[in-house]
Amino acid sequence: MDFLTLTRRNLWRHPLRTTLTCGAIAMAVFLVCTLRSLVTTLDNSAVASRNERLWVQSAVSLFVSLPQSYQAKIEAIDGVDLVCKWQWFGGIYIEPKNFFGQFAVDPEKALSLYPELTVTEGSKEAFLGSRQMVLVGQGLVDRFGWKLGDKVPIMGTIFPHPDGADTPWEFEIAAIYQSSKPNVDNQMFLFHWDYFAETVETASGTAPDVGTYVVRTHPASDQSAIMREIDTMFENGPQRVQATTESEFQAQFVSMYGNVGFFVSAIGGAVLLAILLAALNTMLMSAREQTRDVGILKALGFSDGRLFAYMLGQSFALCLVGGAIGVSLALLLEKGISKAFAAMLPNYAVIPQTIVLAVGITFVIGLLAGILPALRARAILPVTALSDR
Amino acid sequence: MGSRYSYAKAESALDSRASPARSVIPPAAPGANCAPARILFAMSNSMIICKDVSKSYQRGGETLSVLDHLDLEMEAGRFYALMGPSGSGKTTLLNLIGGLDRPDSGEVTVAGAPLSKLGSGPLASWRAANVGFVFQGFNLIPVLSAFENVRLPLTLTPLSKAERKKHAELALSIVGMSDRMDHRPSQLSGGQEQRVAIARAIASDPKVLLCDEPTGDLDRESADQVMDLLVRLGKEFGKTILMVTHDPAAAARAERIVHLDKGKLGHIESNVGA
Repeated sequence: MDFLTLTRRNLWRHPLRTTLTCGAIAMAVFLVCTLRSLVTTLDNSAVASRNERLWVQSAVSLFVSLPQSYQAKIEAIDGVDLVCKWQWFGGIYIEPKNFFGQFAVDPEKALSLYPELTVTEGSKEAFLGSRQMVLVGQGLVDRFGWKLGDKVPIMGTIFPHPDGADTPWEFEIAAIYQSSKPNVDNQMFLFHWDYFAETVETASGTAPDVGTYVVRTHPASDQSAIMREIDTMFENGPQRVQATTESEFQAQFVSMYGNVGFFVSAIGGAVLLAILLAALNTMLMSAREQTRDVGILKALGFSDGRLFAYMLGQSFALCLVGGAIGVSLALLLEKGISKAFAAMLPNYAVIPQTIVLAVGITFVIGLLAGILPALRARAILPVTALSDR
Repeated sequence: MGSRYSYAKAESALDSRASPARSVIPPAAPGANCAPARILFAMSNSMIICKDVSKSYQRGGETLSVLDHLDLEMEAGRFYALMGPSGSGKTTLLNLIGGLDRPDSGEVTVAGAPLSKLGSGPLASWRAANVGFVFQGFNLIPVLSAFENVRLPLTLTPLSKAERKKHAELALSIVGMSDRMDHRPSQLSGGQEQRVAIARAIASDPKVLLCDEPTGDLDRESADQVMDLLVRLGKEFGKTILMVTHDPAAAARAERIVHLDKGKLGHIESNVGA
């Protein structure tokens, strides 16, 4: 108990220095938790996407559309259960900062493709009942304060309204869904392909092509063989395609951010190194100030081993308090970050493994920062320590 | 209370002024209270024995001999003052006897323990059980209160928390600091700090008290109080006290005055008035 008191009082000998060091450790652990959570969220999203769905896109680019005629051809492939059009709309709700994904889909097929979408308000029937009806995620409802029956105007940027670029497309919220899996985010805005196609055709005079097709295969089928067959089928045009699994498709978006894992590790590593040096500096200064105290304790009969543990304990105490604050901060801000980055990074979460990692890192910083002062305290002769001025 | 703690068992001793049992050095012949060092080896009740002890330090590439084949023996329960000019090896000898430093050669035996044969851990345990230190600069832990400072060495004993508290309070009462036990060292005067340091030194009831210029930083009045206390600890509780001092007035309170000169034992005065 006396050693705990001594540790606490010694750490508080210089309140400002201790507070700043503790704050730096807390900030570093918070950053590590947050950056690591970005990676795990992306990884989890890709892992959770392993299922019977395939995505078919242009072999050239996601921005190149595919003919509508491809749908029937893909449906005819043995092992294919269902094919759904999935078109990126790219409109603006009120202002550009309100970014979220709007997709023109075959509504009935989309609901069948994604059993993860559970309608929590309204009904599937209401969504399917009228062409201007939309199914929106709970995340969008929370974000914009929408409710069932609300009219949602969306300005078409890629696909302007036939009445002019200043005229918004009109939608009505028929149902709200909640996703049961992290790979399907709660911020989608799904509307009818037919409404989209007719309006675009009215505006441009030609029927629109399709951005991507989502294909569901039979559970017993060979997905690799089906993907090869789809690729081969359209090898000679008019558009070459690339079929991928859903997890590979998701991974494409992750790779658009570059090598996220590497960047996060590099930034996290640099932050941790800086904090380690700061903590080491604090511990060395603190140990230097306590040299005489170490001599006194040795004279009183405290062993070298106890002094080693005492100095190391101070380092651990400092780092663990900082680490605990950092982890708490990461957990407290989890919802806020999730909300802020909902469009880019749906289902952001600090998972238990990240917390374990943060605690482990805190221990390592504590050990590395405290080992030198602890070894010094153990080795110094009492008479040498007592002569310190 | 643990049975080995003499004042815990005898709180009444605070007032009883009972003299502890101890051997008595043969009275010096009238007019000859100066004994040569070799006579001391005839003692049968030795608490401290230094045999052929040498110690040197390296200073700026030079070897500085501080103690030179020193032989010395001190009786249990006596109050010794160690005097000599600066650099004569007084503090070095005190540190060797306290197990804070090790001799280059020779043997130091204190309370029956040959210190050179003890490793670092056993030596620390030995210090905790047998020696109390009182330093010139008090050397209290600044972040702890007087009570916590005194209780600190008791954490090395098998005493319970309640017993440790009682022992610490008793030690503080012996030195007259009960009313200041919650004060930090910075809130105490020099004399009060030294009394707390003495309380800490005696808290675990050691056999030997080693005092390095305990009055060196104190005014006359505080120094007298500290000396009264040390004398009382020797007389009432049978502590063997070895005090390094430059102060003749302080040395005069000791029963024996050991003179060191250039690392060698000079002469020993038997202070019949003490």
